[in-house]
Amino acid sequence: MKLLTCPMNGPRNIDEFQYLGPVRDDADPDTASDAAWARHVFRAANPPGRLLEWWRHVPTNFVFVAERDTVSNDVIRTFDPATAERP
Amino acid sequence: MITRPLYPLEPGGSAHAEDIHLGAAEGLTIEDRTAAPRFGLKGPGSADWLAANGVALPAINRLARAGGLVVLRLGANDITLLGDPGAPDALDAVRRRWDMASAPKGYSSWREESWAWLRLSGPRLNETLARHCALDLRPGRFADDAIGQTRFAHVEAVLVRAGAGFDVLFDITATAGVLRDLRRAHRGHGHR
Repeated sequence: MKLLTCPMNGPRNIDEFQYLGPVRDDADPDTASDAAWARHVFRAANPPGRLLEWWRHVPTNFVFVAERDTVSNDVIRTFDPATAERP
Repeated sequence: MITRPLYPLEPGGSAHAEDIHLGAAEGLTIEDRTAAPRFGLKGPGSADWLAANGVALPAINRLARAGGLVVLRLGANDITLLGDPGAPDALDAVRRRWDMASAPKGYSSWREESWAWLRLSGPRLNETLARHCALDLRPGRFADDAIGQTRFAHVEAVLVRAGAGFDVLFDITATAGVLRDLRRAHRGHGHR
């Protein structure tokens, strides 16, 4: 069983979580072209190495950030962005 | 005309079926408490409004029993109050005050209509819980005032202790499936 540690609920089976994509800046709706906006909505970079990602604990609908190594799939840390400063 | 709701496990209800039975069987007792009173609030203002109206709020994922209420703190602004049959007026009083109050006061999460509520007990309770949930819910491992928000019998559920038993609250539309899973997983246990 693969576990992920929710900042609110503690370690839980990975099937309790939904992946919500990498943490990234929003596209600027005033300046982004249609193509750039579509790319922002439907595509995401998948770089090797450490990445900050949004995850949701489904039973509680709690959304948080995980830092994961996309090569080893190790989760380095998880945190509540409302109470922790992003690096 | 206001009529009483028809709950899933009652005769004529959506989960009423021959192969779904409540009561005691093979060391597990299942009691349907879906019709018991409860009141949930969510959203900004929920916690502040309850605290200002005399409801002592525990920490997130903890419960508190006081004043005829069981207070489930499911999130910072996600709170559900369970009525105590010994003091039925307490929940009604909070609900009446909330109905009359002006915002900000959160919004009703309609737990009285959206959740089924089963109480599980019996000598084989821990075996049953272990078969349906990855959390360690045994006495001494899961605190008396803890709340488990997790997957149980393949659905998202809220689990809390109720004396020697456990209360399980989950999506009311999954009532039949959960009941069938509970009985099915329990039946073969003695043969292993």
